[in-house]
Amino acid sequence: MVLLVYLGTDLLAAWGLNLEFGVAGVVNFAYIVLVAAGAYFYAAFTLGPPAAMGGFQEYIIGLRLPVVLAVVLAALICGVLGCLIGVTGLKRLRADYQAMVMLVISILATTVVGADTGLFNGNAGLSLIPNPLASVDASRRGWYYVAAVAAVCVLGYLALRRFTTGPFGRVLRAVREDEDAAIAVGKNVVGLRLAVQAVGGVYAGLSGALLAGFIGGWSPSSWAYVETLALLTAIIVGGLGNDAGVLLGTAVVPVLILQGVQFLPQVKSAPQLADDLGWIILGLLTIAFVFSRPQGLIPERRPRYRQPGAPEPPLPVSTADLAPVARLWSQRAAPAALSGHAQQAPGSRAPVLAVEGVVKRYGGVHAVDGASFTAAAGRITGLIGPNGAGKSTVLGLVSGFARLDAGRVVFDGRDVSRLPAHRRARLGIVRTFQLPREFRALTTIENLLVAAPGQRGESVAGLAAGRWLWRRDEEELVARAQELLGLFGMAGQADQRAGRLSGGQKRMLEVMRALMAGPRLLLLDEPMAGLAPALAERLEAACRQLADDGLSILLVEHELRAVERLCEQVVVMAQGKVISEGRMAELRTRKEVQDAYVVG
Amino acid sequence: MNVFIEAVGFGIAAGVVVALGAVGFTVQFGISNVLNITYGALMTLAAYLGYALLGLGLGVWEALAVAAAAIALASVAFNRLLIAPLVRRGTGFVGVVIVTVAAGIIIQYCIVAIAGPDTVSYGQQAGSTVRGAGFVFTTTQLIIIAVTVVAMVALHLLLTRTQLGRAMRATSANPVVARSCGIRTERIIDLTWLISGALCGAAGVALAITTVSFDFTIGPTFLIYMIAAAVLGGIGQPYGAMIGGLVVGVGTQVAAAYSSPAYQDVYAFGLLIAMLLIRPRGLLAAGTASARRLAG
Repeated sequence: MVLLVYLGTDLLAAWGLNLEFGVAGVVNFAYIVLVAAGAYFYAAFTLGPPAAMGGFQEYIIGLRLPVVLAVVLAALICGVLGCLIGVTGLKRLRADYQAMVMLVISILATTVVGADTGLFNGNAGLSLIPNPLASVDASRRGWYYVAAVAAVCVLGYLALRRFTTGPFGRVLRAVREDEDAAIAVGKNVVGLRLAVQAVGGVYAGLSGALLAGFIGGWSPSSWAYVETLALLTAIIVGGLGNDAGVLLGTAVVPVLILQGVQFLPQVKSAPQLADDLGWIILGLLTIAFVFSRPQGLIPERRPRYRQPGAPEPPLPVSTADLAPVARLWSQRAAPAALSGHAQQAPGSRAPVLAVEGVVKRYGGVHAVDGASFTAAAGRITGLIGPNGAGKSTVLGLVSGFARLDAGRVVFDGRDVSRLPAHRRARLGIVRTFQLPREFRALTTIENLLVAAPGQRGESVAGLAAGRWLWRRDEEELVARAQELLGLFGMAGQADQRAGRLSGGQKRMLEVMRALMAGPRLLLLDEPMAGLAPALAERLEAACRQLADDGLSILLVEHELRAVERLCEQVVVMAQGKVISEGRMAELRTRKEVQDAYVVG
Repeated sequence: MNVFIEAVGFGIAAGVVVALGAVGFTVQFGISNVLNITYGALMTLAAYLGYALLGLGLGVWEALAVAAAAIALASVAFNRLLIAPLVRRGTGFVGVVIVTVAAGIIIQYCIVAIAGPDTVSYGQQAGSTVRGAGFVFTTTQLIIIAVTVVAMVALHLLLTRTQLGRAMRATSANPVVARSCGIRTERIIDLTWLISGALCGAAGVALAITTVSFDFTIGPTFLIYMIAAAVLGGIGQPYGAMIGGLVVGVGTQVAAAYSSPAYQDVYAFGLLIAMLLIRPRGLLAAGTASARRLAG
């Protein structure tokens, strides 16, 4: 019975941590602090004023609130605390530094709460915490408690599924796999992380409140930093990112092992040996699983979209067959994207992008040193130059991945210089990466689905309302993604994990994903490098189709013949500066361009 | 004023121990790029080992040497058996950290199972006292100060002035390229763990001698001080760790002298978090990392 209560409360905590770490990839070694806060705040809300309670322990608040209200308040406070802990992760520290910050926060919190007797009675801890079921007859109270915790767990599980499955779970996993790639398709990574940490905090708070109410006491020794490891082990053993796996892991690790050892025959001279043994087994188990089965007992599953045995759609052979690419893109981008130049007279070449005197320094090196150029709407603009000319840096500056040191980036008449990268992506500036950055553990088709903007399934409304609100959107999206995959000859790989694709396929995926994000200005960073000639041709044809249909493209490419075929306007950079502009044929004859390529 | 001088004296004595441990931690983290939480548990092991050795009648020097050698070997074995295979498999950074936390817990609870959970107190402060300029040190503290200074200078010279040190730094910056240049990176990494293990062992004994009493949690708590010192000085910089150790030691002692000693740890941790969030590359760090991004 006691074990069942522990299972329930540990499970809530493990689910919360799994949402943070397993699903969204947020490293939170301070998670147990949130559980502790839930316990303390529950205690402080339900206990009366310290003086009226005999005055033998000191604490804050003391409101004698009804228990249900106290549980809810404690959980909400922990949600806020979770966000606060999340804020420390906002500064883009290396992952190891973040892990350090979290560990230190965890140990710091134990020290502060232990040292400050006025807060929660210091190291002695709180006792006589009211049991939520105090009114129930004592002989039956235990089982009632089990039932109550089970009910909270069932509700918690149903709520959790909203976050971990469907479009929301998908975008969280994308963030886990590759933060920058998620930003590049317009996902608000910071917001998602904070949201996840708030939700994780609520689960931790619930867990702590229910635990404290059951035990009746709570002190710093209950939440040493190693307790977070117990939860992490439960998740790793059960299966990272898998809610059902976590249930199994929690049953095995914190409950069966850490509590189970208490039932071993006791050694009289050293009563703590059982505890020690429990922790030692737990440590060994963690190491064993990280080593030989990092995916856990029940690995994360991904949904399948392709009918088994469905025929491969015919591969487009001629350029004309690629026409649907443009339709697939403009369907999504319209009408907002097309309205921009619908107002312009046809044939006008108003720039969609103006880069004005941008500067980027790394240390003392001027990677980009006052470059200015424009890109015309509905055209492919080439950006070429020798290695180290600053082309990729310019793409970074335009897309917002690198911060400008000087100059402006104007997109569609609007100064976007100060917008963060994901906001620019939502406006329609979508980039690809020179080295493909697929979401490895997601399937190929999921990589495309996640990129689509404005999904209702990712919104708060979608989370609250559930599946019926976004099911239709999702079906349309899947159809579109499947058609796109077919056009690039990758329909067969739809349900394959993207990490297993070949180099060329990853490159195509990179472009398809960018198209799914509804771009108005597509920034392609050497998309043809390393592609087989047939694939490169298909990509070239697709680019032409897209431009004909109104998509503006800025193309960084070393394959100059392709640039010549595709681009009317080509910008040449060398040593951080724009040294020449014009048609490729003219550029070839210019001395400064020849010098840059041969000498520079 | 006397309170202040006294606190500074205590701070230097405490800070040197922090520095000794931090130098080992910073070199290991800086070169092998593994955040090794097990370091704290190995230090606890060294403290208990030192306690046992001194109990057998060994002198301070002998105890330092034996513990240093033992922990150095343990550290190399730990890397060979656990960390290196994980890194070879491409386990992510977080996975490695979790493993080091787990290994630390195993060691810690093995110690408890053998030595018991009670506080161990090391009776008398070894050696006579030496006075000067208002400071009071024991000869043991002077030995520890000397060991720390020598270790730090030797490490700095090794890293900056020798071919071996260059190979170590190359391995740190890019192990794959270093290997293709003919550097035997496994050996370099082994050597790094050996050095850091030796320092860890020495620091553990030093800690056992200088603190009045301790229990099995001493290492992990102390680890935070060492991390604070290493981060303050900039990861991978022996001199930085030394200065960081002194700042942490003196800072916490002085702060504790003017408020409640219960908050001593809080100051160290607060300082560390502030540092990590404001200037994560340390006080002495030069801007080298940004130059790497130019490659794109």
